[in-house]
Amino acid sequence: MTPHDTLDQDRRELVELTDDLLGRHCDLDFLRARIDDGTAHTPGLWGRLAETGLVSALVAEEHGGAGLTPAHLSGVLHSLGRHAVPEPYLETAVLAATVLDALPGPVADTWLPRIAAGDAVVVVRLGELTPLLPYAADADLLLDVADDGAVRAFAADELEVTPVPALDPLRPLGRVVLTGAGTEVGDDGAVVARTRTLALSGAACLLAGASQRLLDLTVEYVAVREQFGRPVGSFQAVKHKAADLAVMVDMATAAALSAFDAADEPDGPRRAAAAKAYAGEAAARANVDALQLHGGIGFTWEYHLHIWLKRVMGLAASYGTTTALRRDLARELVARVGQERRG
Amino acid sequence: MSAPVTDADVEEFRAEVRAWLAENVPAEPLPPWTERAGFDLHRAWEGRLFDGGYAAVDWPTEYGGRDAGLRRSMAFAEEYYRAGAPERINMGGLYLLGPVLMQYGTPEQCARWIPDLLACRTIWCQGFSEPGSGSDLASLRTRAERDGDHYVVNGQKIWTSMGGFADWIFALVRTDPEAGRKRKHDGITFLCIDLRSPGVEVRPLAMVDGTRGFAEVFFTDVRVPVENVVGEVDRGWAVAMSTLGFERGAVFGDHAKFSNDVADLAALVDARDLDEDTHALDELGRVLVQTEVYRANVYRLAARAEAGGELDSTASINKVFWTQMQHDIFDTGIRLLAEDGAVVGDPGSLPDADPATLRAWSQWHHRYWYARAAMIFGGTNEIQRNIISERVLGLPMEPRR
Repeated sequence: MTPHDTLDQDRRELVELTDDLLGRHCDLDFLRARIDDGTAHTPGLWGRLAETGLVSALVAEEHGGAGLTPAHLSGVLHSLGRHAVPEPYLETAVLAATVLDALPGPVADTWLPRIAAGDAVVVVRLGELTPLLPYAADADLLLDVADDGAVRAFAADELEVTPVPALDPLRPLGRVVLTGAGTEVGDDGAVVARTRTLALSGAACLLAGASQRLLDLTVEYVAVREQFGRPVGSFQAVKHKAADLAVMVDMATAAALSAFDAADEPDGPRRAAAAKAYAGEAAARANVDALQLHGGIGFTWEYHLHIWLKRVMGLAASYGTTTALRRDLARELVARVGQERRG
Repeated sequence: MSAPVTDADVEEFRAEVRAWLAENVPAEPLPPWTERAGFDLHRAWEGRLFDGGYAAVDWPTEYGGRDAGLRRSMAFAEEYYRAGAPERINMGGLYLLGPVLMQYGTPEQCARWIPDLLACRTIWCQGFSEPGSGSDLASLRTRAERDGDHYVVNGQKIWTSMGGFADWIFALVRTDPEAGRKRKHDGITFLCIDLRSPGVEVRPLAMVDGTRGFAEVFFTDVRVPVENVVGEVDRGWAVAMSTLGFERGAVFGDHAKFSNDVADLAALVDARDLDEDTHALDELGRVLVQTEVYRANVYRLAARAEAGGELDSTASINKVFWTQMQHDIFDTGIRLLAEDGAVVGDPGSLPDADPATLRAWSQWHHRYWYARAAMIFGGTNEIQRNIISERVLGLPMEPRR
C-alpha cells in the first residue's frame, strides 16, 4: 500500500463515520429544535463530534489530536454541509487548529488540547474576509490573524460581540470589537495564506455539500409528486433543470474537495478561490431551482427545504463572494499575462 | 500493469516532451485545416509527432504509442497546449475509433488500422447521423445486406466531420431490419468502410462559417468485406455507445488548452486597457473559474480511471460542462473584441489591431463555431440532460417509443 491508498481509505472511513453520527444526532428534529430554541451550537452535538475524533483531527498528537492533514477532511466538510450542521467545525476544528498548530507557544499549548477535547470554541478573524464572524458569540477565544501575519489571541472577556440577526438561524453571525489587549501568539505570513486558503476551500466544501442536499431533496420530491397523472420528474422541463443542477453540483464538489486537499500546493490559493467562486455559483442555481421545482411546499416553514436554502445563501456570502473572487482571480491573471507580454 | 508512475517519472517525461516540442513545433501557426493546403500541413505535423513517438503516448507500444499511462499522457497534453502546437486533426481516429478498436476490435483489426491511424496515414470520420436520424440515432436506415463475404451498403450519412478529408469512415448500418422493427437498437452493426470504394460519394457541406469542415456521404451498392465489422454483427449499438462515451468523456489533458485560451482572453483585456473595467474582469473571472473547475474534474476522473473505476456515468456531465465552458470562453472573447468581433477575414481586415487582439481574433471565430457545434455533436446537450436525469439522478423515463 502506498500512503495515497491509505489516505483514500481513511477519507472514506471518516465520511462514513460523519454521515453515521450526523444521521443519528443531527436529523431534522434536532435542527428544528435548534431553530425553535434560537441556539445553533450545543455542547451536546459538539461533544459528540469531538468524541469521534473529528474535532481533533488536525491537532497534533502531542496536544491530544490525531495529527491528520487537511486532505483527510474535505469529505467530512462536504458531509457537514449536507447535514446543515449548526456547529463551528470549519472555524474551530480546521482554521483555529491550523493557526495554533503553526505557531507553537503557550497559547497553542493551552488551547489546542481544549479544542481537541471539544471544550472550546475558537474562532478566527481573517481581516476583510470576515466582517461578520460565524459563531462569535459562542467563542471562548478569538484568533485575530492580521494580513501581515501577526496573530493575537483574545479571550471571551476581551471581546465585545454584537449578534447580528442571521438569515441562516443555524449559522449565527456576530460583529466583534476587540476590547482587551490580547496575547501575542506568533507572527508568520505563511499562516495567513494557508488559513485563508483553507477557509475558502473549506467553505466551498460545505457549500457543495449543502447544494448536494438541495439537489437530493429536489430529485426525491419530483420523483413522487404527481400532476397530469404522472410524476412531475418525468417531464423534460423538470428533468433538464435537475440535470443542469446536477452538473453544477458535481463540478462544484470536484473543485471544492480537490482545492481543500491541495491547500499546501503552490497553486492552492488560486484553486481555493476558484472553488469557492464556483461553489457559490452552483449554490445560487441550487437555491433557485430547488425551490422552483418544489413549488408551494418548498415555500412553507413546515417543510425543511428552507434550512438548506438559507444555508447556501449564508455560506455563499461568507469567506469571499463569487463576484469578488472572480474579480480577484481575473486581476491576478491579467497582471501575470501582462507582465509576460511586456517581458 | 506496470510499476506505479511516480511524480518524478511524470516530471522527467514532461521535461523530455517540452524539449522535443520546443525543437519541433512550427514557429508560425499552421493555416486552418479546413482548406486543403492547411490540412496537408497538419497531416505532415501529425506524421512528425508520430515519428517522435508522441502521437498517443498512452497507447500500447506495438501500435506506435508508449504505454506511458494516464498521468504522463496528461503531462504530454499540458505541454502540447502550452507549446502552442497545432490542433490535432484525426480526432475521429485518435479519440474515438482507436479506443473502440482496443475494446472491441480483433487483433487483426487493431494491427491493420491503428498504426496507420496513429501516423495519420489514414484519416477517419464517424458515420452515425443520417438525415432522419439525429438525436434518435437508433432509427438509422442505412442498410447493409450480406452477399457472400461482403456487405452491400446503401444509404446516406450526414454532418460527417472531416468527411471531405477522410479516407475511411466507421459507420452504423442496419443489418437486420426485422430485429429493428421490434427494438430499434437491435440489428445495427458497426462497420468500417474505405471511402475510396466504388459507390461512395462524399459531398462536402459548407458550414456556417463558410469552411468545408463536414460533409454528407452517400453509399450506393458499396461492397464492404465482412471482416470490417467491429464487434458483433447486429450488436453494433453497444459499440456505438462506447464510441459516444469516448466522445463525451474527458480528453485527459485538454484542460490545458482551455487555460491557454483564458490566458489569451486576459492578454486581450490587458492590451485593450480593460484591466480596470469591472464588467470585463467579471466576464474573464467567470470563465477563468470554469477552467479551474474543469481541471479539477479532469484530475478527479483520471484518478478514478487509474483506480479502475467506471467513467460511463460521468461522461454526460462532463460533456455538458466542457461544451458550455468552451462556448462561454469564445462567446466572452468575441464580445470583448467589441466591433472587431464583427470583422472576419485575414489580418488585413484589422489594420490597426494590436498583436494580442490579432492573435485572439485570428482563432476565435473558428473556435467559437466549433464550440457551438460541440453542444450538438456527440449527442446534443439536451440528450445528455435526458441521460443525466434518468441514469444519474434516477428520474422516471419520458414516455417514448
